[in-house]
Amino acid sequence: MLGYALKRLGTALAVAIFVSILSFMLLRMSGDVAIALAGEGARAEDIELIRKLNGLDRPLMVQYFDWLGHAALGDFGTSLYFKSPVMPLIADKIGNTIILSVASLAFALLIGVPLGVLAAVYQGGWVDRLALGIAVTGQALPNFFLALVLVMLFSVQLRWLPVSGSGTWLHFVLPTITLGYYITPPFMRIVRAGMVDALEMDYVRTARAKGLSKASVVLKHALANALVPVVALAGVQLGLLLGGSVVIETIFALDGLGYLAYQSITHKDFPVTQAILLMLSIAYVGLTLLADLVNAWIDPRIRLA
Amino acid sequence: MASKNMASKSSMAGKTFQRILGHRGLVIGLVLLGVIFAMAIFAPLLSPFDPYDQDLGRRLIPPFWSPKANPAHLLGTDNLGRDYLSRILYGARISLLIGFAVMLISGLIGTTLGLLAGYFGGRVDLAITFLITTRLAIPVVLVALAVVAMIGGSLVVVILVLGLLKWDRIAVVMRAATQQVRGLDYIAAAEAAGASVPRIILKEVLPNVFPQLIVVATVEAASAILLEAALSFLGLGVQPPLPSWGLMIAEAKTMMFFAFWMIAIPGSMLALLVFAINLVGDGLRDLIVPKRRG
Amino acid sequence: MLKLKTGLMVGALMVALSGTAFAGKKDDTIRFAYEQVPENVDPYFNNVRIGVILGQLVWDTLIFRDPVTNEYKGQLAKSWKWVDDKTLDLDLREGVKFHNGQDFDADDVVYTLNFVGKAENKVTTQTNVNWIESAEKLGKYQVRIKLKRAFPAAIEYLAGPVVIHSGKYYAEAGPLGMNAKPVGSGPYKVVEHTIGKSIKLTANPDYPASLNKRVPKIKNLEIRFIPDRQTQTAEVMSENLDFIMGVAVDQALGMKAVPHLQVVEGETMRIVFLNFNLTEQSPTPAIKDIRVRKAIAHAIPREAMVKQLVGEKARIINAICFPTQFGCDDKLAPRYAYDLTKARELMKEAGYGPDKKLELEIVAYRERDQTEAMIGALRSIHINAKLQFLQYAAMREHLRLNKAAIAHQTWGSFSVNDVSAGTPVYFKFLSDDMARDPEVRDLLEKGDSSVDPAARKEAYAKALGMIQERVLGVPLYSLTTHYVANGALQFNTYPDEIPRFWEMSWK
Repeated sequence: MLGYALKRLGTALAVAIFVSILSFMLLRMSGDVAIALAGEGARAEDIELIRKLNGLDRPLMVQYFDWLGHAALGDFGTSLYFKSPVMPLIADKIGNTIILSVASLAFALLIGVPLGVLAAVYQGGWVDRLALGIAVTGQALPNFFLALVLVMLFSVQLRWLPVSGSGTWLHFVLPTITLGYYITPPFMRIVRAGMVDALEMDYVRTARAKGLSKASVVLKHALANALVPVVALAGVQLGLLLGGSVVIETIFALDGLGYLAYQSITHKDFPVTQAILLMLSIAYVGLTLLADLVNAWIDPRIRLA
Repeated sequence: MASKNMASKSSMAGKTFQRILGHRGLVIGLVLLGVIFAMAIFAPLLSPFDPYDQDLGRRLIPPFWSPKANPAHLLGTDNLGRDYLSRILYGARISLLIGFAVMLISGLIGTTLGLLAGYFGGRVDLAITFLITTRLAIPVVLVALAVVAMIGGSLVVVILVLGLLKWDRIAVVMRAATQQVRGLDYIAAAEAAGASVPRIILKEVLPNVFPQLIVVATVEAASAILLEAALSFLGLGVQPPLPSWGLMIAEAKTMMFFAFWMIAIPGSMLALLVFAINLVGDGLRDLIVPKRRG
Repeated sequence: MLKLKTGLMVGALMVALSGTAFAGKKDDTIRFAYEQVPENVDPYFNNVRIGVILGQLVWDTLIFRDPVTNEYKGQLAKSWKWVDDKTLDLDLREGVKFHNGQDFDADDVVYTLNFVGKAENKVTTQTNVNWIESAEKLGKYQVRIKLKRAFPAAIEYLAGPVVIHSGKYYAEAGPLGMNAKPVGSGPYKVVEHTIGKSIKLTANPDYPASLNKRVPKIKNLEIRFIPDRQTQTAEVMSENLDFIMGVAVDQALGMKAVPHLQVVEGETMRIVFLNFNLTEQSPTPAIKDIRVRKAIAHAIPREAMVKQLVGEKARIINAICFPTQFGCDDKLAPRYAYDLTKARELMKEAGYGPDKKLELEIVAYRERDQTEAMIGALRSIHINAKLQFLQYAAMREHLRLNKAAIAHQTWGSFSVNDVSAGTPVYFKFLSDDMARDPEVRDLLEKGDSSVDPAARKEAYAKALGMIQERVLGVPLYSLTTHYVANGALQFNTYPDEIPRFWEMSWK
């Protein structure tokens, strides 16, 4: 188990570093940060001065290693836009994004898992068809469109929920539904598929033959089996949620990492964008690593393979 | 409850029913997709107006169901007096173009990587798996936004950015499928007969993994269409006056509380298109890879 | 049925919980939202309008310009006197206190001006301060400002962007500390600044009655940053906001119908114009043909655009400056009326027609619908304009790299009521100048540096006339902004787009 864990950790680290190089180069090559910094009405000499003062005239690789060295110590430099250190800025926002992501994941699991189970048990029945319908429409509806419709309905018409901000838990309800709804279908599908397989397995048939009630068979035997891939999927989805909430956080002015990322992108605030990209990829790598380890612990065959 | 018999019976009947349902979904999806294709192809014939023609004197005319509608403009006009129906019809071209172009680029990259990894295994597989893992760790939306923000949005840029980012799932599926095919006898036979590696991959492996490719590529096309809409929604996608459905939502979103139809029409079209593609994808999956729907 | 009931109960609960959010009069707070986040609330370290607004709310300037009469009055300085072209003496007011309790005197002025005047301190908009050579103390309430060059518009800058910080606090805290915990001497003091999210302010009860602003009538002001326009609209419609500005004309019309809201259109100093790349590196050499530029000037339906897309209070402009600005005189500028026939004739002379269209690129960064309307107009004179819509910084880069033939520019002159803050930016060989006409440059330079007002006016009028004769740019119109507010709020609007929250009251 330890050997497997170490090996996976090594890969994860290498991936994170590779991603950081890629995104560093990508961001640097696609625009002149100095012009962005200089702002409205700046003259050519101001721009050159800014370029020098911020060390933007050095070779890219030098800039990268300089950045990586500091980043390793938790210093992501200074925001070009806010002129303040990047780390506290991110620390300030990350909480909201974590709450939103975990809540959306919980929402998706609470809806997706039971629906998947029911769909498998009543295969071909109306529950199955309903679940399939939800899955297909869920993935078809653009999430920003859903967000707008929800705001219109629940905030402006009914006035039940606040439109934007992050002051209370109520502020998280609409963004959670929007994001959660969108990631529900994959969970439902994977649980359904797992359950369909499990229900046809010998031990489940045996259990049924022994006269155990249907509910207990479904819950105890089949579900346990079907949940294994859900763990891995949850890890992946959580990683994607952390990075995928840009649109939703912007619509709801929910002061999180995605919103900060959008701000930093539109302001060409390179250090902030770079730091967020790195943190999100580390989060993704970390979560998938965790999911793999959990699965290896549940199912020894994985770590031997 | 008569559960013992029912279980096997319902699963049998269910399977048959599911196949039919699957086919029915496929049929509905194909029909819908066909309609949208027809809209795109015949847009110049069907459109009552030039989608780019403005008329500042005829702005914001509501669609036909409103009492203030104008029969000349069935779906009304936008904030520059452009005919909404014509823009919707031409918009089908943009969405389909984006879906298929991205599918083509990402399909090419993903298939190549997947085939190589699956066929050669060993170090090649390790390197490609590493690439795939890296790609998965990059937040697509953020990187796409950042790139478009800096080099400026256009149809070509959006297609390239999405195409270069969205090959991961295709590579994963192709890799797994190739690994399965690789072990089969006729590949060994071809190798023994002295066929060259490129020939084996292209003539023997590729045709056998093609069905899976189609399924996963369909899903990717749908997702690319949604991503383009999201980018355009944030103002970092294609450039106006291109009649992209995502852009139409973005342009009309500030009016949504006063003229909801302005976002509802392109929004529904977008959902319908993605719905159709997903139905087709699901249907194909049921036919090609029975049992697995995860 | 059961589900429906639970749903309704949950809904009722939510209404009960969110009840406190409903705005305004009850807790004596104006809730205001703005779309852009300032990079730093210190007015010297941002270049967004909310920064100018905050500068007026939290800080004060030496001189005050009456927003209605445009007359200069004493503010932190009681009076001022030009000693010579480059030396300005000011007598300061006594009895003003900063929000941290410290008394205001000459040391604050000297520290602030010497700090911001130094290029290495990287004040964001250098044109606001780069005329300052130094400031020195003549007495506890007397200062002398030395200028780098003759710059008569200095008074205007001292009445606008050049705010006075507490010297002692600024020396300790620096611009970053000032951002985290802003201290000024203005009518509002900052209670809490959550960077990138919100700023909470409260009335400064010690604001002296001798100054031209006043102790706010409404005690609290809360500023939130909401990037999405439709989210702002939703907030104001659901009574969670009391004041938003910069609302586009169509939304403003829509919100007029909402009973609890009032919609007011206000003029702004921001002008809209087209700029052409006429340099050697121009991506579209055809644009250097004056007939093509004249055709473009004739083809844009300015009246219809103003009526349909901008607002009733917008003004058509015939020179590239805002009419109230000192030196903005269009008497020598030829007019190009909307005339498609003439425009097509000019294009034909230049060699373009239905069979030979002119392809070019236009770049823009705001009011995209207006750019699209212009593209539509250009189509009718056989010009196929491709749009690049970019963020401001990206647009400038794009232009500097000579990638676009036409720029749809807008310029607010930082609310400075003097042509020196406007026209020269685009025509005096600065980095945004794509026309590069040396004669225009020399005239503008003369206007900027002459001391005699009559000579300045004459030079600017000639420069503006020459720009139009040679069609180096196409002046279009000034923008208006729509304010949408809680119906109970009493307020006035001003062309400098600075809402005077300290004047506002509940009806």
